[in-house]
Amino acid sequence: MAGVSHLLLIEDDDAIRTGLELALTRQGHQVSAAASGEDGLKLFKEKRPDLIVLDVMLPGIDGFEVCRRIRRTDQLPIILLTARSDDIDVVVGLESGADDYVVKPVQPRVLDARIRAVLRRGERESADSLTYGDVVIDRNAMTVTKAGEDLQLTPTELRLLLELSNRPGQALSRQQLLRLVWEHDYLGDSRLVDACVQRLRAKVEDIPSAPTLIRTVRGVGYRLDPPQ
Amino acid sequence: MTDRTKASEASSPAPAMRLVRRLQTTSLRIRLIAVFALVALAAAVSVSGIAYWLNRDAVLKRTQDSALSDFRSSLDRTITALPLQPTCTELQRAALVMAHSGLQYSVVLVQGGCSVSSDPGISASVVPATLVASVGEPCAHCVTEPDQYHLFWQRITLDGVPYLVGGTQVQPTGPTAYMFTSLDDERKDLDSLAWSLGIATLLALVGSALIAQVAASTVLRPVARLGEAARQLGAGRLDTRLEIRGAAELADLSQTFNQTAEALQAQVEELSAREHASRRFVADMSHELRTPLTAMTAVTDILEDEADALDPMIAPAVRLVVSETRRLTELVENLMEVTRFDAGTAKLVLDEVDVSDLITSCIDTRAWLDAVELDAPRGIVARVDPRRVDVVLANLIGNALKHGGSPVRVQVRVEDDELVVQVTDGGPGIPEDVLPHVFDRFFKADAARRRSEGSGLGLSIAVENARIHGGTITAANAPEGGACFTLRLPMTPAIEPGHPLAADGGPRGAGPGAGPAAGGNEGSKGNTA
Repeated sequence: MAGVSHLLLIEDDDAIRTGLELALTRQGHQVSAAASGEDGLKLFKEKRPDLIVLDVMLPGIDGFEVCRRIRRTDQLPIILLTARSDDIDVVVGLESGADDYVVKPVQPRVLDARIRAVLRRGERESADSLTYGDVVIDRNAMTVTKAGEDLQLTPTELRLLLELSNRPGQALSRQQLLRLVWEHDYLGDSRLVDACVQRLRAKVEDIPSAPTLIRTVRGVGYRLDPPQ
Repeated sequence: MTDRTKASEASSPAPAMRLVRRLQTTSLRIRLIAVFALVALAAAVSVSGIAYWLNRDAVLKRTQDSALSDFRSSLDRTITALPLQPTCTELQRAALVMAHSGLQYSVVLVQGGCSVSSDPGISASVVPATLVASVGEPCAHCVTEPDQYHLFWQRITLDGVPYLVGGTQVQPTGPTAYMFTSLDDERKDLDSLAWSLGIATLLALVGSALIAQVAASTVLRPVARLGEAARQLGAGRLDTRLEIRGAAELADLSQTFNQTAEALQAQVEELSAREHASRRFVADMSHELRTPLTAMTAVTDILEDEADALDPMIAPAVRLVVSETRRLTELVENLMEVTRFDAGTAKLVLDEVDVSDLITSCIDTRAWLDAVELDAPRGIVARVDPRRVDVVLANLIGNALKHGGSPVRVQVRVEDDELVVQVTDGGPGIPEDVLPHVFDRFFKADAARRRSEGSGLGLSIAVENARIHGGTITAANAPEGGACFTLRLPMTPAIEPGHPLAADGGPRGAGPGAGPAAGGNEGSKGNTA
């Protein structure tokens, strides 16, 4: 763990907010809390947190909208707090740029494990750089450029790209990627992978709907192909 | 054996009954046609029969009367011209004269030893004996004019041709005269009449059958409509109504049907509205319960960690609150899951998954690895919702561990494109009277276990999770003792449209060769890590 991480918790219910604030503080995080989307965005600009835990159902602008607004400028990790009954929530949340989600009522241990896993994604691992066509992955600086321009990737997207580029030409199943990138220790929700791949393609590929770098392997998962 | 013969004897004397019963059960159409045809046949046959006999009588009587009266007058004329004791030649001549004078008939005259005929084909020997007898006898009852002879007659058949034979004794000592008139023309006429009548009867029969068919259709079409409507009603289309038309009885029936359907629809609607409301209530309630539970769950860990440091009087109270909060959380989660299944909003999130990985991680995360014998070959890849299958497996294995006891065995195999997972335990098995209810909600096999950890919804949720995959779970007792739960899932359920796996925009990867094998290896590494 690299020091104390600063979290922003956006949750409208007082009891849940207080409870989670207590629990997360006890797990060793520094927590700021906001009761609405608007307050959350304001607090986000003031405190520049390392990660946001975001409730989906908020009065005023909802969690998805908060997520979209933050993603316009920043790539910090976002974990959604959802109610599983609304299955569509998960899909919309992942499409609006969330990195992971937990379902209420969530055990603090589980939330903490997810938070730490997301934060680890930004850590560098080796010092070489790889080139795929006009895409350059600099593992030292943890940056990705396309045709010389810096790409704004979230830590999850970056980690996904790195894991795929560790095994070029080899297909990885969604469940493998969930373990490698999201550190789920059980078989998880493959939609996390699909949504993240879509977002990554949108940033990395020339034509996201006809990907040449991150290919789908039917019945298996995904594979990074160096361009011919 | 004797019983059986007795039974067959008992049933054999009732073929008539059986016929009646069969007639009662045969189609109304066939019965109608049969009755119509029978009536038409009876009418046609009696009418043609009467017509034929009247006609035949009239024709024969006319022919007969004219032939006999002609013969009589011809005989009068000829006999008076004969001498008292005529020779055979004179008789022969007289016969020829008579035969050629009037209508076409042949004449036979007999007197003394002479027997002459006008026609070489006919002689006195063909005259029937009865006629000869009645002519020879003095006629007591005959009422004749003094100078007239009583004519006897009879119809016979000679060489297939019908003849009228008339005979008389010219009194008292005159010759006996016989006359033969062919009735062949009359027979032909009557035959053709019979043919015509037969054909007319046949036509009447066909006509009546056609009319019966039409009548049956008019009656049966509404019946068929009613039947179809009733079938639709039975199939759940409660808005089925009949158009009220046709005969009064049928219209009445249609109206009754409509009223019944309406009442049924209203009742079903009310029931489903009530059920919907109660489901809604459960869903809303569990939703409302979740918010305070989330807050409580958030602090249970803190409480648990601090319990050891608390006053020994307070620590058990804190631990109780913690454990019961977790139970309540599980119950509410299960309740919400059940309401999702009831409302039909539960969705599959499919992924290709190595089944042995799935089971291993299910057992591993719950720290059951030491207690479970796993017999699952690697490389069985099924397309399932991993979270839901994990829920099912956790339930089945958890139950086996809790209620059955070791050894708990989990076996995996593929049968006819179906994934079969069998969970057996070494316990006493499930009592036969409990077996049908194990999947019922809030059913607990052992009343003494009322305070067990389960919410009472586990197995019913497991079944719903299997069902949403298009699979099943069955419970049984293994022959060697112990309960045996079998989960069957299709290897690939019907793909939902709109799922990212079903509709991926990218071009498909070209090399399937390296992919899956490499994936399998990585999977095992990732799993043990």
